[in-house]
Amino acid sequence: MPFKKSKQDTADALVLEWVLQLKKYKLTLDRNRCIGCQICSLACPKAAITTQKTPKVNNEPAKKVKIDIDLSKCNFCGVCDVTCPHGAVTVTLNGKHDLKILTKESYPQIIRNITIDTQKCAKECTQCETACPLDLIKVTKVGFDGKPVKDVSKLSPTGKRRVQVTVDVAKQYCPTCRACEYKCEPGAIVVKKAIEGKIAINQQLCPEGCRDCIDVCPINGTLTIDKNNKVTVNELTCTYCGACQNVCPIPDALTLYRTKILHTLVHSGTWNKALERIVGQQNAAKELTARAADVRRNIVDKRFIIEEMKKNE
Amino acid sequence: MSRPLKPEELRIGVFVCHCGLNIAGTIDVHAIAEYAKTLPDVVFVKENRYTCADPGQEEICAAIRDQKLNRVVIAACSPRMHEPTFRRTVAEAGLNSFLFEMANIREFASWCHQSDPAAATDRAKDTVRMAIAKVRLMQPLETLEVPVTNKALIIGGGIAGINAALDLAEQGYKVYILEKSQSIGGHMAALDKTFPTLDCSICIEGPKMVDCARHPNITIFANSDLLKCEGYVGNFRVTIRKNPRYVIPEKCTGCGECKDACPIEYPNEWDMNLGTRKAISVPFDQAVPLVYSINKDYCIECFKCTEACGKRDAIDFDQTPEEIVVEVGAIVVSTGFDVYEPYDMPLLGYGKYPNVVTSMEFERLILAAGPTGGKVIRQSDGQKPNRIAFIQCVGSRDQSHYPYCSNFCCMYTLKHVVQLKEKYKDNIEIYVFYIDIRTPGKDYEEFYNRARQEGVNFIRGRVSRIDEDPVTHNLTVHSEDSLIGHPIEIEADMVVLATAAIPKKGSEEIARILNLSRDSNGFFMEAHPKLKPIDAPTDGIFYAGTCAGLKDIPYSVSQGSGAASRAATVISKPKWKIEPIISVVDQEKCKKCGICIDKCPYGAIRQEPNQPANIITASCHGCGTCVAECPSHAITQMHYTDAQIFAQVRAALQENPEEKILTFLCNWCSYAGADLAGISRCDYPASVRAIRVMCSGRVGREFIIEALRLGAGAVLIGACHLPYDCHYINGNYRMKERTDALKTTLTKLGMSPERFRVEYVSAAEGIHFAEIIKEIDNQLKTLGKMKIQTETAKLKPFLENMLKQNS
Repeated sequence: MPFKKSKQDTADALVLEWVLQLKKYKLTLDRNRCIGCQICSLACPKAAITTQKTPKVNNEPAKKVKIDIDLSKCNFCGVCDVTCPHGAVTVTLNGKHDLKILTKESYPQIIRNITIDTQKCAKECTQCETACPLDLIKVTKVGFDGKPVKDVSKLSPTGKRRVQVTVDVAKQYCPTCRACEYKCEPGAIVVKKAIEGKIAINQQLCPEGCRDCIDVCPINGTLTIDKNNKVTVNELTCTYCGACQNVCPIPDALTLYRTKILHTLVHSGTWNKALERIVGQQNAAKELTARAADVRRNIVDKRFIIEEMKKNE
Repeated sequence: MSRPLKPEELRIGVFVCHCGLNIAGTIDVHAIAEYAKTLPDVVFVKENRYTCADPGQEEICAAIRDQKLNRVVIAACSPRMHEPTFRRTVAEAGLNSFLFEMANIREFASWCHQSDPAAATDRAKDTVRMAIAKVRLMQPLETLEVPVTNKALIIGGGIAGINAALDLAEQGYKVYILEKSQSIGGHMAALDKTFPTLDCSICIEGPKMVDCARHPNITIFANSDLLKCEGYVGNFRVTIRKNPRYVIPEKCTGCGECKDACPIEYPNEWDMNLGTRKAISVPFDQAVPLVYSINKDYCIECFKCTEACGKRDAIDFDQTPEEIVVEVGAIVVSTGFDVYEPYDMPLLGYGKYPNVVTSMEFERLILAAGPTGGKVIRQSDGQKPNRIAFIQCVGSRDQSHYPYCSNFCCMYTLKHVVQLKEKYKDNIEIYVFYIDIRTPGKDYEEFYNRARQEGVNFIRGRVSRIDEDPVTHNLTVHSEDSLIGHPIEIEADMVVLATAAIPKKGSEEIARILNLSRDSNGFFMEAHPKLKPIDAPTDGIFYAGTCAGLKDIPYSVSQGSGAASRAATVISKPKWKIEPIISVVDQEKCKKCGICIDKCPYGAIRQEPNQPANIITASCHGCGTCVAECPSHAITQMHYTDAQIFAQVRAALQENPEEKILTFLCNWCSYAGADLAGISRCDYPASVRAIRVMCSGRVGREFIIEALRLGAGAVLIGACHLPYDCHYINGNYRMKERTDALKTTLTKLGMSPERFRVEYVSAAEGIHFAEIIKEIDNQLKTLGKMKIQTETAKLKPFLENMLKQNS
């Protein structure tokens, strides 16, 4: 059978496939994880991803924008997979999640900098688990006998001391909102936001009683209603995903700027262009200038080292 | 219309040939000679025993010199026989060779009316009179010469094109190869083995491809398209678009480091999409020219390739399409074929069942350099199939798809089964479902026998459908064994479809640009299927390989060499000679309507906006169709002018017109057919008066109207058979369109329909011609002279009116 292309779109997932004699390329978009943030469509080098607003039905909460991928444009490169802050896209070759753009350094990895020092953890505490708005944290406690402990408070003080706490974060799905960090009293968790930026709400333009942005925001508590009955933002937990901006009915009522993305260093045209689309021209230029400065510094350093080595000889 | 004659004194010499007793035995030649003397401007009449023999020719020369003859009529055999001879004779005597006319009194009189010598003599007299009437209006013409560019262009670098290019380059001519895809090599480069010798295909073609790249006389334009072709034989100006590769060919070393750096893969068309290639890659390792290309449809522009290329600096993402113009004297079209993909045959399950593949896909599977490394495996589970069914004639020999036989499918299936048996010995069962196994080639039948001896099961029958087991993905082939007359079901692990070979996609575009015609199956049409199988109808363009009909590799190779030789006949000459029997537009009379441009079978007429039409002399083949079509009578065909033909019509119908059948015969088919009637001594009524034209397309309405106005008993037009026999591509169609309309009008006006006929007579149908004449003659006798005269009287005012409107 010849090369076969297929596309299946269900409520739960969008699946794109190329089936060749020996190779099977598959892209899966998990619609439950997708929050309609549009970042994938900005990153896509082939402009294959489009977004579609779901029309609003009266009195119902607003729905996130729907992502669609054009099978004729998609080349299964995996840029969307890498970029998605919520890890909703997976691209596989013959079932293996092994992206060539990463191994060949054609695209950087987004750094989800989450450090957890379980030594600091209070033994009874499961605050982070409950704090995570996406249920990505799992706290497990193991007693001295190696068996999981159900209720720490019932243990003897010695037993309590011996309890080992592990905190597992499903990193690939984590948008780094820092909600867990704020809730962690002993300061055991430190999260660095992968995307930095600014969000501004012009309350003057905000329509009375509109809750659309709050409805779609993936991080509970980021967007709230203030005393004026208008939407206000708590930037501490905002991931600058842009899902709110995509559904906002009034232009300019909600403005989002992304300024920086935390990523591994690569030389890649694809990334430079994706960055420009995601954070805007000026911020992308900043990164490039910084990188160029780095390069210059390295060159100068190298020269000093060589000169010093010569001196030592 | 005709240019006014110079006021010169006409001195016509008439030579009557006895042809031994061939003419003199039936016809009273003295009477003819005496009659000729009575005709105006005839100053010299001479009888010869054999005019074509040396003494006869010398007599003509002497007479031209001594009698100061300026027109010569030779009443002898058919002009198809000796016109060239006498043209030379006349020229030797210092007279322009176009100031002579032959009166065919042998094939058209003495041989075909042997039972009625008197009638034969009458017909001969009329024939001489017609010839004299024409020769009086003839004008001196000079053979035209155009300079020739001694370079050639090969369109399509498959095995046929490669051979044509190498042969021409070896003869010392500059050759350009235009190739659409990224590498030359064509289908052959994608094959594993070749039948019947089982040579490795790329091993024998690869060196030839490299020779092309290295030859100092050959320039390859790969990844390029043909945009435009202007000009004519010897002087083509061809515009080529070089599509961007985003890699600079001069700088690319073909090292492949960029390919290793590239993260993106896409289905490789060269592998029939079974395997993949990188977004920067060559289609296959032996590609010529070995220059990498970036496919921007898939490239994500990470520039890792640029990094890998480094100081070689061969990658240029800003490349744009580049148009270049080359001037060549001859073009070889070798665009090849495509493989049919049977998506529209749902019963075979191609595209639906993963283990149904086409033969071309199977070829890539069994090829060691292919995507599976030569392992024949199923797509569904990656396992080796143990039972393979081959199905022949998928799409070919099928009235609802492609009615023709695809020529090489039987042989390549035999190749596949022999390869499988060699590879897997008894671990494989093979079934071949065929209609007929066709092996007409050197050592081909022996190869078939070898396959049979290997234990392959050949089942004669057309496959009705294929079913798939949804779990195992095994296939059941339903057919009939027509040799035992029972339905048969075979379970197989894999099915290979020997699909039809079809005309190359885009050959319609090529046909439009080069002004070629295509047959009903879509392949290019030769100038003559038997005697000019390599020539296109347009001079200076030749075919090689499968673009003009399917053929296997040895035949394509030999045709490539044949095309090279034919092209060399053009580009080896400093000048190209053109018969001056061409059409000329009177710039003042032309009303710029553009009708002639549509009607010209050769696209030889061009017109700038709001300017009179112009005929490109070297492209004109001299059929005269445009002359007959021109509504303002602005076009003249040299040597067959309206005035000359009118003169012949009037001369033919001078006496007892109602008894005469005025016949217009095209030179190539019906005139030759009428000649054959004479040569075969078919006796037919002598009421025929024949006028020779180059093509039936030349016969304008006014000739027919004039003949009927003069009271001709019947008018007959003889043409080449429809649809493809016309020597001038489609002149016969133009004539048919014209005469169909005219006949309706005339019949409405009250003419008996049998008095105007169009008949298609080939050069082999002498008897057919005689039968037609007998039939018309009988019809005329039944109608009776009185009836015809009454009709003529009734029609005359209308006809005169029509002529007036026409002129």
